[in-house]
Amino acid sequence: MIRTVLQFLVLAVVLLLVQVVLSKVIFFNVAVPIVFIYVILRLPVNLHVNWVLTIAFLLGLSLDVFNNTPGMHALASVVMAAFRHSVFNAFVPREADMSNPLPSTDSLGVGVYLKYLSTLTVVYCLLIFFVQAFTLRDVTLTLLRVAASSVLSIAMMLGIDSLVTTRREKRL
Amino acid sequence: MKNLLDFFVKHSSWFVFTVYVVMSCVLLFRDNPYQQSVYLTSANGVTATVYEAFSAVTSYFNLKDINRDLQERNALLEHELVELRMELDNTRLLLPDTVALPVSSRQFDFVVAHVISNSIAQPNNYITINRGSADGVKPEQGVVDQNGVVGIVNVVGTHSARIISLLNPHMRLSCKMRGSDYFGSLVWDGKDPSTAVLEELPKHMLYDVGDTIVTSGYSAVFPEGLIVGTVQERAHNVNDNFLSLKVKLTTNFSQLSTVRVITNNMADELRALRRGENGEDTTAVDNGKKGGKP
Repeated sequence: MIRTVLQFLVLAVVLLLVQVVLSKVIFFNVAVPIVFIYVILRLPVNLHVNWVLTIAFLLGLSLDVFNNTPGMHALASVVMAAFRHSVFNAFVPREADMSNPLPSTDSLGVGVYLKYLSTLTVVYCLLIFFVQAFTLRDVTLTLLRVAASSVLSIAMMLGIDSLVTTRREKRL
Repeated sequence: MKNLLDFFVKHSSWFVFTVYVVMSCVLLFRDNPYQQSVYLTSANGVTATVYEAFSAVTSYFNLKDINRDLQERNALLEHELVELRMELDNTRLLLPDTVALPVSSRQFDFVVAHVISNSIAQPNNYITINRGSADGVKPEQGVVDQNGVVGIVNVVGTHSARIISLLNPHMRLSCKMRGSDYFGSLVWDGKDPSTAVLEELPKHMLYDVGDTIVTSGYSAVFPEGLIVGTVQERAHNVNDNFLSLKVKLTTNFSQLSTVRVITNNMADELRALRRGENGEDTTAVDNGKKGGKP
């Protein structure tokens, strides 16, 4: 139990720092990779929703402090965390074996995990870019940003997922 | 009572969700960058430490370009020095025996700081520097680099400060065209990080593409005549009674490294004077003077 908590703490800090760096990098002036939400996606399925929401809020707020965007990432990650449970139930069959409660390509299979990951990433990107674009009023550019960032984020998070999972297997 | 408690426990997630969303929205829509707590901005200790560590690596990336800018600036200043010296010599010949002119005490000083975090792609951009209240940086001081105006100090921590960048629609800078007295206010339109719009100019003003735009000196923040940019074209007009110009900014915001914070030794006095103008107690002027002299 304590080991899992510590692992999540390390994962959260590392991904937050990576996100702080990535937030300054904008590919082709449209795509901003978002990776820190991987922590929220990876939280155990049986964890109470209140905890998921709290963790999401704190993570989002920490990123906001770094980026000087008060409340923006916090709002997006809380809303995304609220969707997490229903999205998970929609894609994972009820009789599925959940002996490993951590969602990953290993425990869910690549297809199901990809659906789960992409849906929530698109939700997050939609929220963040439309909140950000309140003042810009340029819908096509915003949609382009959402699409490009989602694709990039999904690819990066799949990479992170394979890194995190293989490391665990080696340790066992 | 038990039913009520059961209800709250059963639907606790909804309450937790609502509380977090409301908190986020309060932070998000509290649309005033000047009243933010230092802990919720990048000027706080933890953030500054992390950014300093990153900046220790990334600050080497653009050195070549920055060096060239500095060389150019140096050449320009040397040229100006030679000219001024010649002028001084000529004046000495004309007025051989006048008493030394009164030397006014220096109004503006500089604190050199390093940019440790910067953004240009957000709708509201901020810059973090590694100097804070311990180094004499205070809110509402101007910040420049070797190429031009950068922004205004906004939130100050002990060893770090957040600057509200020129690339932030919350910032309006009073500017004028060099060589004329017509002034307007420069504001970023949120699109291109290399241009901004100079608004509220009189309609009859004559301009040429390439004219230099400088600070007007009408506030205590920036001295008069600091370069801001050059006129690029006539901007699409929002208000028909005024002229708007698109200004190409001379500062390269994607490559900021070393900046200078301008400390105005008379800022307190000026502020007190302005308070007096607004019909408040004029004794504040005296207090300001006492406070302003070290």
